[in-house]
Amino acid sequence: MAVVGLYCDFHAQQEQTTTNMLGAMLKQLASRGISENIREAYEKAQNEFGGRGLQLPEMLNALKKTIASLPRLFICIDALDECTPKHRRELIKSLREIARVLPGARIFITGRPHIDDEITTCFSKALRIPLSPTHGDITSYLERRLDNDTEPKAMDAALRADIMRIIPEKISEM
Amino acid sequence: MSQEHHQQVIGDIGSYNNNFSNNTGSHNNFNSFNNIVNFITRLDNEGRQILQWLSPLEPQQRHQGVRTDRLDGVGNWVLETSEFRKWRDGEDGCVEQVLLCYGGPGVGKTYVR
Repeated sequence: MAVVGLYCDFHAQQEQTTTNMLGAMLKQLASRGISENIREAYEKAQNEFGGRGLQLPEMLNALKKTIASLPRLFICIDALDECTPKHRRELIKSLREIARVLPGARIFITGRPHIDDEITTCFSKALRIPLSPTHGDITSYLERRLDNDTEPKAMDAALRADIMRIIPEKISEM
Repeated sequence: MSQEHHQQVIGDIGSYNNNFSNNTGSHNNFNSFNNIVNFITRLDNEGRQILQWLSPLEPQQRHQGVRTDRLDGVGNWVLETSEFRKWRDGEDGCVEQVLLCYGGPGVGKTYVR
């Protein structure tokens, strides 16, 4: 099996094109060794096209070829809402294609609620989990932040207790 | 913490597959971000150029940062949900290939593991 991951980022929208994102998956899969067809495509690009990168359909095909023999592939994409609508649409379509050719593919996506419709349009049976931190998540986090406080002298037991009580309360009201 | 922690991170997703690998003896197929980092340092010059040519993006670098900041135990409840289990354990060809975890900004989506 293989695991590949992508982190989308508002600040990197320019270079986070669909082609580059699919390329990044292919790059991670290359830890099994760079396949002959990719080497050939690279050499052809160097010799005939001045080293230009693959176009989207070529990249998708190369990726499909590489994953074809995998029993299981996990694709994890963080913050899908942070790529541009155009690239998001293309990426979701490419993922649908990957899921179609590789029944063992499992795709994990995080994002803000507004991408829900876009996902379920392409994947009507997508499983969905609404995320919000549990009380335990928040207190663990607060404890660590307080333990790593750079001004420990400014803290006393009463203040610490207030922080541990009030912040989780406020968050649960949000 | 690195290797051990990372194994733990992908362990849950991988548990099904580890069983699979044990049964088939194809243990070496297991790959991860860590292996990629090790692999890239071993690559020849052309290999490195090919990877760069495939994509300028380096998601494994961001992954290193997220791993370091992630707090043990936080968000583990997600792995216990029936949705997660159904997604992870589904048979080949099942229709539930996609799992979407959604939430507003700052709820910790990136740090779910």
